[in-house]
Amino acid sequence: MKVEKYSHITDQELLQNYYSSEDSKWLGILLERYTLLLLGVCMKYLKNEEEAKDSVQQIFLKAITELKKYKVEYFKSWIYMVAKNYCLMKLRDRQGKLPAELNEKLTATADSQPDTSTLWQNDKTLDLMNESMKELNHEQRQCVTLFYLQKKSYHEISEQTGYNLLQVKSYIQNGKRNLKILIERKLKDKAS
Amino acid sequence: MADNLKDILSSLSPDIDQEMLLLYLQNKLSEEKRHEIEKKLLDNEFADDALEGLQQFDDKQRINLLVEQLNTDLRHKLEKKKQRREKLRIKEQPWIYVAVLIILMLIIIGYLLVRKLLLHQ
Repeated sequence: MKVEKYSHITDQELLQNYYSSEDSKWLGILLERYTLLLLGVCMKYLKNEEEAKDSVQQIFLKAITELKKYKVEYFKSWIYMVAKNYCLMKLRDRQGKLPAELNEKLTATADSQPDTSTLWQNDKTLDLMNESMKELNHEQRQCVTLFYLQKKSYHEISEQTGYNLLQVKSYIQNGKRNLKILIERKLKDKAS
Repeated sequence: MADNLKDILSSLSPDIDQEMLLLYLQNKLSEEKRHEIEKKLLDNEFADDALEGLQQFDDKQRINLLVEQLNTDLRHKLEKKKQRREKLRIKEQPWIYVAVLIILMLIIIGYLLVRKLLLHQ
């Protein structure tokens, strides 16, 4: 991770530099940005330290070969998909059967996700948010409030509420998703 | 308060610094920093998956070592590839082809001249 001097260069620019100069130095800098994340993803699926390490090496090789062949727009989403597919292939080999199919929505995740900040163009949406918060179940409302409004960490929320860390995370994720759905529904109703 | 509420609907995928993620894993961050990382993780599926995996390492200090090993290995591989390509590039220098062609032509001309001289005799 000694590539801080390139931290001002975006992934996109590094990839462009690689494509235009064909100098693998740029590819190296780009891949090193994701070593830790790739190791984590491989470990999540394979549950074995050595296997996870070997898999990251294989994913690097795959990336080096594939990126030469065609242009990739969103590197982060792409390398994430490569890693997940590689791990699932390993699991399939290990178990001798097909694991759950990967959701290919990845191509549209991360970098390409639309920002819903446009929803906040008027204060009415804030009122809708307050209204919708009341419609969440108790656990979700409690965790969302503590996390987003009082800026508590999972650990602090866990200590305060007595829920374990996984529950806290789950209540926040589900609460956030439900809030979005509720607000979008309310905005739709108002528009019609 | 309104700004805090806005955070809930934001779905941009923020980047998470690898060093910060390591510190988070090693419980070396303040509660405030932990909150910041956790907020980013909620909108970053890649990093969230990775964190789940990294938390399964028995020895969190080993993660840093593994990352360094992987990066060193990657650099070696890329360097080797680079050197191989440069070697190929040297081999593909056009002057080599020109020199070979000139030598071949000289041999043919020499052969023809010698043959002509022998016929005249």
